[in-house]
Amino acid sequence: MNTDFADWLRARPDERLRELVAARPELVTPVPAHVDGLAIRATSPSATGRALDRLDRFALAVVETLLVITGDDGPGLGYDALRAALARSVAAGQEPALDAPLRETVERLRGLALVYGPDDALRPAPGVRDVSEFPAGLGPPAAEAFRDHPPERLAALLDAVGPAGGDVAAGLPGGGDRTGGAAERLGRLLAAEGVVPRLLDGVGPQARAALEELAWGPPAGRLPNARREVGLEATRSPVEQLLARGLLAATGEESVVLPREVGLALRGGRVHRDLSPCPPAPAGTARDPALADRTAAGQAFTFVRTVEELCERWGVDPPGTLRTGGLAVRDLKRTATLLDLPEWVAALAVEVAYAAGLIAASAPVDGEWLPTTAYDAWRVRATEDRWAALAAAWLAGDRVPGLAGERDDRDRLLNALHPELRRPAAAEVRARTLAVLAAGPGLAPSADSVRERLAFEQPRRRGADRDRLAGFTLREAEQLGVTGLGVLSTFGRALLPGKDAAAAEALAPLLPEPVDHVVLQADLTAVAPGPLTSDLGRRLALAADVESTGGATVYRFGESSIRRALDAGVGADELVAMLERHSATPVPQPLRYLVADVARRHGRLRVGSAGAYVRCDDPAVLDEVMADRRAVPLRLRRLAPTVVVSRASRPTVVDTLRSLGYSPVAESIEGDVMVTRADSRRTERQPMPRPAGTVSGPDPEMVAAAVRAIRAGDEAHRARRHPVPAPDGQVPRSPSTGTITALREAIRQGARVWIGYLDSQGHATSRILEPARMEGGYLTAYDETRAAVHRFALHRITGVADLQ
Amino acid sequence: MSDGPLIVQSDKTLLLEVEHPRADDCRKAIAPFAELERAPEHVHTYRVTPLALWNARAAGHDAEQVIDALISFSRYPVPHALLVDVAETMSRYGRLRLEKSDHHGLTLTSTDRAVLEEVLRARKIQPMLGQRIGEDAVAVHPSERGNIKQALLKLGWPAEDLAGYVDGEQHPISLREAGWTLRPYQREAADAFWHGGSGVVVLPCGAGKTIVGAAAMARAGATTLILVTNTVSAHQWKQELIKRTSLTEDEIGEYTGTKKEIRPVTIATYQVMTTRRQGVYRHLELFDARDWGLVVYDEVHLLPAPIFRMTADLQARRRIGLTATLVREDGREGDVFSLIGPKRYDAPWKEMENQGWIAPADCVEVRVTLTEQERLAYAMAESDERYRFCATTPSKTRVTETLVRRHAGEQVLVIGQYIDQLDELAEHLGAPVIKGETRVKERERLFQAFRDKEIQVLVVSKVANFSIDLPEASVAIQVSGTFGSRQEEAQRLGRVLRPKSGGGGARFYSVVSRDTVDQDFAAHRQRFLAEQGYAYQIIDADDVLAGD
Repeated sequence: MNTDFADWLRARPDERLRELVAARPELVTPVPAHVDGLAIRATSPSATGRALDRLDRFALAVVETLLVITGDDGPGLGYDALRAALARSVAAGQEPALDAPLRETVERLRGLALVYGPDDALRPAPGVRDVSEFPAGLGPPAAEAFRDHPPERLAALLDAVGPAGGDVAAGLPGGGDRTGGAAERLGRLLAAEGVVPRLLDGVGPQARAALEELAWGPPAGRLPNARREVGLEATRSPVEQLLARGLLAATGEESVVLPREVGLALRGGRVHRDLSPCPPAPAGTARDPALADRTAAGQAFTFVRTVEELCERWGVDPPGTLRTGGLAVRDLKRTATLLDLPEWVAALAVEVAYAAGLIAASAPVDGEWLPTTAYDAWRVRATEDRWAALAAAWLAGDRVPGLAGERDDRDRLLNALHPELRRPAAAEVRARTLAVLAAGPGLAPSADSVRERLAFEQPRRRGADRDRLAGFTLREAEQLGVTGLGVLSTFGRALLPGKDAAAAEALAPLLPEPVDHVVLQADLTAVAPGPLTSDLGRRLALAADVESTGGATVYRFGESSIRRALDAGVGADELVAMLERHSATPVPQPLRYLVADVARRHGRLRVGSAGAYVRCDDPAVLDEVMADRRAVPLRLRRLAPTVVVSRASRPTVVDTLRSLGYSPVAESIEGDVMVTRADSRRTERQPMPRPAGTVSGPDPEMVAAAVRAIRAGDEAHRARRHPVPAPDGQVPRSPSTGTITALREAIRQGARVWIGYLDSQGHATSRILEPARMEGGYLTAYDETRAAVHRFALHRITGVADLQ
Repeated sequence: MSDGPLIVQSDKTLLLEVEHPRADDCRKAIAPFAELERAPEHVHTYRVTPLALWNARAAGHDAEQVIDALISFSRYPVPHALLVDVAETMSRYGRLRLEKSDHHGLTLTSTDRAVLEEVLRARKIQPMLGQRIGEDAVAVHPSERGNIKQALLKLGWPAEDLAGYVDGEQHPISLREAGWTLRPYQREAADAFWHGGSGVVVLPCGAGKTIVGAAAMARAGATTLILVTNTVSAHQWKQELIKRTSLTEDEIGEYTGTKKEIRPVTIATYQVMTTRRQGVYRHLELFDARDWGLVVYDEVHLLPAPIFRMTADLQARRRIGLTATLVREDGREGDVFSLIGPKRYDAPWKEMENQGWIAPADCVEVRVTLTEQERLAYAMAESDERYRFCATTPSKTRVTETLVRRHAGEQVLVIGQYIDQLDELAEHLGAPVIKGETRVKERERLFQAFRDKEIQVLVVSKVANFSIDLPEASVAIQVSGTFGSRQEEAQRLGRVLRPKSGGGGARFYSVVSRDTVDQDFAAHRQRFLAEQGYAYQIIDADDVLAGD
């Protein structure tokens, strides 16, 4: 364990530690006991790897430069030297722009505990080197690369590299240099000015080309029989020329590597090329932000409608769940056709509805995909709120609708709604992609420039998968109306920090206002020039069929639609009056005729249902039955002189009539069919699997508590190193009065104390406490080592000491 | 929120609010790329179809213009998907081009190699192609010029035909504007056609499509083949051409069932062209009889399928199609697009009427209540006889007679489907009847007499549906029709739409039996009229009879 690093960490003010913990929350899960523990965890390969993953390209380059230039145990690098090294790497003309970003980046890296030390000796944190196999694409130093070479090979190489006998005149360390091992000497030789170019002069063009290949990484290659014996004179192939001169080092039977010194020489002393201290600016088309907003709002409106229509359709005619959980390809196709959308958009709508909890499987096995009860609550909210709910679910979810229809690594089809249709990075990539859009207001950046920017931000995480996620994000954001014409909308921007309400508020004025009138026309259509108020919308939907939707809704009146309204109990006069009231234009005569015509024929035939009928050829008998008061519970109704119907069932009627002294006979008829429209069905909302990690870090309170705990633990840890007056080894049966007095004093002064304590297993531990009260043989205190309030049995406290 | 006159629907229809102050500008902006589908009184519906977008591309509009028009006139935000789709669809036109190359003859070239590769792999396309010329071009058999355009359209990659036209045999033709002048829109239509090379001109009935044809012939100044629907129409074209152009009777030939003249300008009927004997079209040679410089298709929407096939071989000749509507009941609009050409000009009916080029018309539906007996008989009738029965009831006849009497002194046409009914009506009205079996000579005599107002009532069967010029008919009474044909309704209305010498309006009655399929069919037909902006009124037959 590198104590330098832990000491440096300990010396950081609390505020810096809080920053560290906030930026690398994995360091405090669980909270380490002390600063040493924190240092160990911070330098572990996995934690270091994760921290490096979060660096942008420039910060990573700073770390790599430090790695390359400083040795393992070297003294570190001064700030100015670091700046000079980076200045060589930046693209021409960018050097003056280096200062501010570099200063900021070094501070940030210190904050992340990836770089430590004062300005005159900056060093990469321990552990960083272990996870960077080839920093900046450079191979290991020669000392390491040639370490396993037998001494005679090394001697031969030294001879080959150094000028015969050591060219002292040229100032080259030759045969006279005897410090360190042969490998180290070889490294120094290779690093010396002019050596590599001289060696290169001796090899053929093919060998040179091979080196150029390796120069900018990756620096390792495969070569059969790499450890072959080659002398300068007996080289047959280009590779052998390189091996013979130490320009390539064999690291295994079949692998070679380009030593770092050679690589740097080939790169002209630069660690990176075309390094830019600033992120690349997104490039694309500039658009009128107002127009983009309007377009996005239109799409937002459309998307909400789409989801609503989807849920309505599925409520009546739900698709089944697959055994693997998911939506069958056929069902997705059908849904896409139904909604008149491309399949991927349909999959998006389905997935977003699912993520927002609007649809769920009614049962895990052999269930159906149904709208949830949450859907009913969602449906009656204002459009902007409905959109915000959908967009927030989309943004934060780890589900990736874009993958629907593809196969996983085991070649299984990934259906929409499949449980495995997830990527842990989805939410993060989405947030980052939109953040790139947010950086350029009014700009519709090209997908490539967005990817380039993302690659700059997290070069170590770059990959085809993340590039695809970014691509999905762009096209899905457009569908959802988060972007319009490729530009992040104002309400989409509000969504980014997770302010759903603010987003809804920003969207509201852009949505079409509800109208309360329609335009009636002679071709029996009604055009609602905007979304209708819900009451009028319902009435119209009853009396007319929807022909097209969008900004406006076109309704068509027809015989069947008017009949539907009449069936629902709307009178013909009422219907016409409603139309007159809400029509911006006179009601066309053909429409009046149509309503009148349908009404005239409506209800000529009457159909009802009855539980049973009673018929009798002799009306007098029926008169008698009707008059009998005991028959009242049967609720008889005379349809004709010889027919009476009852609401009661046939057996009841038969029994009652028998009890009245008649002898009725039950007639066997085929059971009358009662058809009722199947009601739209619902399922309970299922708990959604939560995404594994959250994009935003831990909240500040938690961070502060963690740092406090670490500090406290650290003090305890270190306090243990100092001798403290402890009571004698034997645990007294009763607490010594000294202990009680000291504790009482500490409570009075609000001071902290260090105690020795026997835990329930009898192990001796030590704690730092802030005693609060003492009663009933127990001490209640804030245990700083565990960052919690505990009760301590007084008889187990073995000793108390002040903390000074 | 903007306050545009246009609402864009998600099904790619556009709703235009007519009373809006910017409606006119908007109509002009969207007309190139959207087909007017319905034009009732307040809100017009346009539809953006791939064909319409390609028509726009062919007319030199680009996606940017289309999107700009949509966005700037739209009241609400335009769905992004629609904009993307518009741009995508429009970009498909013109990636493939048919060109003439000096070395290889007809070639199919592409600006997008992937597209070329895609179509080359299509099985239907392969046999039409010759050898590959370089990476971006392939030779096409000259005889397949039409077929390949049809096939490419089906694949969704319509080709732009830049292969040019043969000039044909020169024959000077000029318009003789004596006592009349070419109307501005007729000149625009002819010009638009000429600049486009080939294509379709859409003008309402009565707007003078024949004159547009004549103007196009004058522009071409070459021998012309005119294809018309029937013999009577052929005669009329001939007379019209003699009257309006420098052509003399000797220069115009008729190629019909009875005459087979081939002259510098030849008028042939669809029927004679599609006559087959032993499975062979006998008159195909007409197409090669001369080096035609121009082919005119009258009533393109009726063009029979065999003519399409023949037209596929005529792609090197200039073609102009004339029609009142691009709506084909058989849905072959795509063939019209690829074989005759894109739409080059159109103007909505109502607009023409407002400018006074066609007569305004009142449409009235007269509802006849059947007698008890008739209703019973109707209920009992076989389903395939039902329409005939309710369309020809005696009650209807009575009402029709009353209507004719009411319009005594005006030129009245009674139009029907069933010969028995027409004969009966003619007898009751004391009017002559023209039906399929009436000889051409007799027909023309009667038409002339009607024109000269010697007879005032004429009963006609569906033979008179098309292309017969009856300038002074001011009242049409429709007693029965071909079920719900919208096409027929438009044509019949067209009978009374020609401008009257007195400048008065026209009346179009439909006599319909209440509560029968007749009413359903009428509703279907009238929907078409209402969609064309002819609001109709419904009156009860009792009111007609009572008012008598």
